[in-house]
Amino acid sequence: MIAIGLESSANKVGVGIILHPDNGDTPQVLANVRHTYVAPPGEGFLPKDTARHHRYWVVKLVKKALQEARVSVKDVDCICYTKGPGMGAPLQSAAITARMLSLLWSKELVGVNHCVGHIEMGRAVTGALNPVVLYVSGGNTQVIAYSSQRYRIFGETLDMAVGNCLDRFARTLRISNDPAPGYNIEQLAKKGKRLVDLPYTVKGMDISMSGILAAIDSLAVSYGLDREAKEGEGDDVPTLDAEGNPNPTRADLCFSLQETVYSMLVEITERAMAHVGSKQVLIVGGVGCNERLQEMMGIMARDRGGSVFATDERYCIDNGIMIAQAGLLAYKAGFRTPLSESTCTQRFRTDDVFVGWRD
Amino acid sequence: MAEISNPEFPYSLTISIPLPTNRLASSALRAIEVDTELSPFVRRSMALTTPDTPSKSLEATVKEEEKTVLEATYRATTNRMLRVAVNGFMESLGVVLGVMEELDVDVLEAEVQN
Repeated sequence: MIAIGLESSANKVGVGIILHPDNGDTPQVLANVRHTYVAPPGEGFLPKDTARHHRYWVVKLVKKALQEARVSVKDVDCICYTKGPGMGAPLQSAAITARMLSLLWSKELVGVNHCVGHIEMGRAVTGALNPVVLYVSGGNTQVIAYSSQRYRIFGETLDMAVGNCLDRFARTLRISNDPAPGYNIEQLAKKGKRLVDLPYTVKGMDISMSGILAAIDSLAVSYGLDREAKEGEGDDVPTLDAEGNPNPTRADLCFSLQETVYSMLVEITERAMAHVGSKQVLIVGGVGCNERLQEMMGIMARDRGGSVFATDERYCIDNGIMIAQAGLLAYKAGFRTPLSESTCTQRFRTDDVFVGWRD
Repeated sequence: MAEISNPEFPYSLTISIPLPTNRLASSALRAIEVDTELSPFVRRSMALTTPDTPSKSLEATVKEEEKTVLEATYRATTNRMLRVAVNGFMESLGVVLGVMEELDVDVLEAEVQN
């Protein structure tokens, strides 16, 4: 069976086409195309501009995906789209496209939960059968484990997502958003050597990011780092304080922020693993591309005799193929979204989805 | 063009989009109407009609295939809300037209054959 998936919940708009062979072999990615809306440095992406970008790109991407996959309308079994969670106007760009395709092609619709999309693509790509899932992105931060037809949330952020914290700090430092602010923070952090004191806010199974962001933003201001790095001035060349001691650099702050928040994520993931008795960790979501996070999680997992599973940027970063994958699994289990219910919603809890395709 | 002026929603605008076929007009209407209006200060109604006939004066005997015009009427409490709502409609319509133009069954088939 073949499904087409449309995703546009944040600043990426993606279209994917997946094939589930009839003989039960592993799913095949026939096409996975995407375009990202990049805001200028120092700014975040706003709903109106993001939606405009997605409306411009979505039809072109569907066309490109069909051409790459060499798939015709009659080959497609269902049209999957991100129902939520995410940003309102951006989400609607894919939803209305999906509806129109459904009407013109006479195919059924499947509304997909974005988080479940990440999980199912991670499982399919890595082969991790029943891991504890750490879903970390600009919009979401959850520790998830599967039980009785639900992806249950064991722990999550109490305020903002870890990716959102990183992205906002990138704005403070006027770091470029191309290809993504988190990626540029990661590169800068590699040049950092000094660990600056930051709050460490794990609350049981949950974490809080707002205090850390406030602390690091205020540090950046106090060291005069809340501006673009000047030409010729390295990110890792320190200024001096009143006594001639070197101040932390932009690289040091990025390094410290990563080390702190990633340690917190490792802690709450480990707590869930102990609770559930699992040895596998699957990291999904845009922040899952981060190699330092993967390294730290790997150290913890190996200490417990387990392992970490992660995917590359094709699947970590928001994409259409994960929507097609989760959608087709639901479709095969009998799930349909009638046209009148094919809305999109900004809030959609991961555990609201009935995971009928698993035992 | 408000036939029955609603004093609560004094600002209104009716947009008529002529399309080639009833199938396209009906698909556009069904795709757009799923999203409810976000603002309580706006009311929207949509209908299909024939060219040059507003939907309210449409005779009951008119055949479905002749209804190729998508008619959308927006009413709002203020001019600003009317503008915002109509802009939103035009943005959605843009995507809908793009799908018709680039991704309809006959368009894709013709491209494969070339």
